[in-house]
Amino acid sequence: MPSAARHDKLLFFSLVPSAVTLLGMLAAVIVVVLNGSWRSIADFGLDLFSKSVWIPGAERYGLLGPLIGSITSSLIAVAVSLLLSLSFSIFASDILRGRARDLASSLVELMGGMPTVIYALWAAQYLAPALRDFLMAPLHGYLGFIPLFSEEPVTGYSVFTAGVAMGVATVPYVSFLMTEAYSILPSTYREACLGIGASRLETAKILLSLCRPALLASLLLGLARAMGETTIAAMTVGNSMKVTACIIASGYTVPALVASQFGDASLYVYSESALYAASLVILSAALALSFVGLSLLSRWRSRILV
Amino acid sequence: MHAVELEDVHVHVGGQHIIRGVTLNVPCNSVYVLMGPSGSGKTTLLRVINRLIDMVDGARVSGHVRVLGIDALKADPYALRRRVGMVSQIPNPFPHMTIYDNVAVAARINGVARGKREEGEVVEWALKKAMIWDEVKDRLHEHPHVLSGGQKQRLCLARALAMKAKVLLFDEPTANIDPVNARKLEGAISSLKDDATVIMVTHSPHQAARVADRVALIYEGRVLEEGAAKEVFLNPKDEFTVKFMRGEI
Amino acid sequence: MSRARSLKDKLFVFAVAAGFLLAVAPLFHLAVVVFERGIPALVESGLGFFTDGPPSPLSTEVGGIAPAISGSLILLALSLPIVVLIALFASLLTLEFPGNPVSKAVDVAARSFASVPTIVVSMAVYSLVVVPAGRFSALAGAVALVMVSLPYAYTSFSTALRSIPSTYREAAYFIAMKRWTALIRVVIPMAKKQMASGVLMTMARIVGETAAIMFVVGRFRAGIQVLPDQPVDAIPLLIFDYALAPYPVFHKVAWGAALVLLLSYAAVFVATKMLVREVKL
Repeated sequence: MPSAARHDKLLFFSLVPSAVTLLGMLAAVIVVVLNGSWRSIADFGLDLFSKSVWIPGAERYGLLGPLIGSITSSLIAVAVSLLLSLSFSIFASDILRGRARDLASSLVELMGGMPTVIYALWAAQYLAPALRDFLMAPLHGYLGFIPLFSEEPVTGYSVFTAGVAMGVATVPYVSFLMTEAYSILPSTYREACLGIGASRLETAKILLSLCRPALLASLLLGLARAMGETTIAAMTVGNSMKVTACIIASGYTVPALVASQFGDASLYVYSESALYAASLVILSAALALSFVGLSLLSRWRSRILV
Repeated sequence: MHAVELEDVHVHVGGQHIIRGVTLNVPCNSVYVLMGPSGSGKTTLLRVINRLIDMVDGARVSGHVRVLGIDALKADPYALRRRVGMVSQIPNPFPHMTIYDNVAVAARINGVARGKREEGEVVEWALKKAMIWDEVKDRLHEHPHVLSGGQKQRLCLARALAMKAKVLLFDEPTANIDPVNARKLEGAISSLKDDATVIMVTHSPHQAARVADRVALIYEGRVLEEGAAKEVFLNPKDEFTVKFMRGEI
Repeated sequence: MSRARSLKDKLFVFAVAAGFLLAVAPLFHLAVVVFERGIPALVESGLGFFTDGPPSPLSTEVGGIAPAISGSLILLALSLPIVVLIALFASLLTLEFPGNPVSKAVDVAARSFASVPTIVVSMAVYSLVVVPAGRFSALAGAVALVMVSLPYAYTSFSTALRSIPSTYREAAYFIAMKRWTALIRVVIPMAKKQMASGVLMTMARIVGETAAIMFVVGRFRAGIQVLPDQPVDAIPLLIFDYALAPYPVFHKVAWGAALVLLLSYAAVFVATKMLVREVKL
C-alpha cells in the first residue's frame, strides 16, 4: 500500500485512546479477579471447591453448593429458553407476516431491554408461588421418591425456580439470536422447500437443520448470560449452602452468594477472596462459552452466506 | 502532453495479482476509454489514479503513476484527489444533504469558491455542465431522493465538476441508469474535454465507440490493445478485440 | 397432503404458537402486576413519591423514592457521556481501520466484555475505586456503569455506522474529503438516527442496571445528594433491597419504584422505535 497520509495516522492516533481505555478496563477486571482470588485458592486449595460451607466468623469457606447451583440453574434456564425461543423464532419467521412480524420482533426487543430487577421482583412474588403450587408440589407429591424432587417445596424459592425465571429473562436474547440466524438463511432454501411441496413442519425441520450450529451458539451465549445473572437468582434461589440432588429445594448460585455476602466480606480475612475465587470460575466459564459461541456463529455465517 | 501516465503498474490484493504491468498514456483534453469484460481490472486501474485503492485492505501498488505531472503514488492522496474527480457506477449523492449542498460541498471543501455568491455560481455552472440544471433549478433545496436514478447520476457528475478538477474518472457511469438518461450523460461527458481530461471505464464497446478519442482494451490485468478509437474499432489487431467488439466475450 | 400429515402439520403450528404465546406472556403478566401493585403506592403518596425519602420499616406512610431517583439521574449524567464518547471513538476506529491489530483487539474485547457478569464488574470497581478512595460514591457507580454498558453502546454504534453503504464514503473521498471530514460530514450524519436510538437504549440499560452498582454506590437513602464523590442510591437497587426486606411497607415502595422504572423504560423504548421508523421512510 502506498504510504498512508499523515491525516490518516493522526485520525488513527486520536481514536486509539478510546481503544486503550476499553482494553484497559477489561484487563483491569480480569486482573482484579485473579489477584483477589489468589489468596483463598492458595490457602484453602481444593477444599474451597469441594466443600460447601460459608461461615465467615470461623473463616470456613467452600463453594461447591453455589457452583453446582449455578450450573444447574443455568442449564434449566437454557432448557426453558430453548423451547420458548425456538417456538418464538419459527412462529415469528414462518407463520407471522408483515406488521405482525414487526410487532413480534419489537416485543422481543422490549423484553430484552427490560431492567432485570423488574423480572426479579415479578419472579419472586408471582412466578415462584405459581411454580410451587402448580408444578413443584405435584412433582414432589407424585414423584417424591426421585431424588430430584425429594424435598417438599415450602417457600417456592429453589434452584429450579431461579432457573425458570432466568430462562424467561433470557428468552428475548436467545430468541433474537435464533431469529437472526433463521432469517439470515438465503431465501432460496425456503423456496426450495416449498418447491418440493414440504409442509410447514417439514420446512421448519429442514431449515433448522441448516442452522444447527447457530442454534447451538445461541444456547451457549444464553448459558453464559444466565450464569452471570444476579438479581433474578438472588431473589428466587432461596440462599442455602446445602448441597442436594433435589432441584426443588433452595440453593445458591455464585452471583447470588456474592450479592448477599460481598457487602460484609471486608470484615473477615478470607471472605472477599473466596467470593473472588467463586466469580473467577463463572467469569472464566462465561468468557469461554461466549468465545466458543461467537466463533461458532461467525464460522457458520461465513459458510452459509457464500 | 499527457494528463495521466501509467508505467508498468502492478497491483496485488492479498495474494492476487490484479493488475499485471499496465503502461498507458492519456493525452490532455481527450476522452480515454478503458474497456473490457467485467473482472478484468479496469475499475482497479481507475482507483490507482485517484489512490482510492488505499482504502482496500492489503492492496499493494508498484510502478509509476504520474497525474498532471505529480507522482501519484508518493503524493498526499488528498492533494491528489483535489485534482481528480470521480463518478462511480452506483449513483451516490449524499442523501442527507440538499441538491444544492451536494454540489456546493465539493466546491467548499476544495476551496473552489469564496463566499456565498461565488459558491452559487459554481453550483449553477456545474449543474448546467452536467445537463441537469433545468430539471433541478426549482428544487435546489430539496433532498436528492426526489430525483430519478439518472438524474442522481448527473447530480454526481455536477458534484465532481464543482471541484474544478482537471482529470475526471468515470466508472461505468451508465451501468445502473435507463437508456435515455445514459445518452444524456454520455452527451455531457463528451462536452467535458474542453476543460478536463476524461477517463472512463465501460464494458460496452458501443458506448466506447460513441464517446472515446482513444481506447484501451484491458483483459486479465493487461492491456491487450491500445490506440486511437477509430483505429482500434476499424482495424483491430488483436483477435480478442474482435471478439469483444462482437459481444462474444 | 394425507390426513395424518396434515394433522401433524396442524399440531406443529399449534405447538409453535403455544410456545410463542408462552414466550411473550411473562411480559404482559409482568406489566399487569407492576401496574396493579405499583399504582396504590403512587396514589397513596401522590407527588410525594417523587419528592420524599423512603419510609422507616414500621411506618404507615409510603413516603417516596426521591434519593433513588436523584441518584439514578446523577449516575446517568456521569456515565452516559463517557460511554457514548468511548463507544463512538472505538466504533469509528474499527470502522476506519478494520485490518489494524488494535481494531481487532477492540472488537474481541468489546464482545468479551459483554459476557462478563455485571456483578463481577461491581466487585472489581469496589476494589479498584471504592477501597482506594475510602468511600462509596456516584463516581465509582459511574465507572461500573461505563464498563457494563460500553460493549452494548459499541455494538449498536458499530452496527449503525456499518449500515451506511460504502459507496457514500467513497463519494466523500471522490471530492477529496479527508477521513475525519468524511466521518463528520457524511457517515455520522447519515447514521445519526440509528446512533441516537443506540444512545437511548444504552441509557435504558444504565438506568435499569442493578448488579453492577451493588457494591459501589453506597445506597444513600437519607436525602437527595448531588455531589459526584458522595454515596448515592439508584432505583433498581432500592427495588432489589426493599423486595428482599421483610417489611410490607418496603414491598409497597418497591412495587411503586418498579412502576416508575417500567414507565421510564417504556418511554425510552417508544422513543427509539419512533426514531428508527423515521429512518425507514
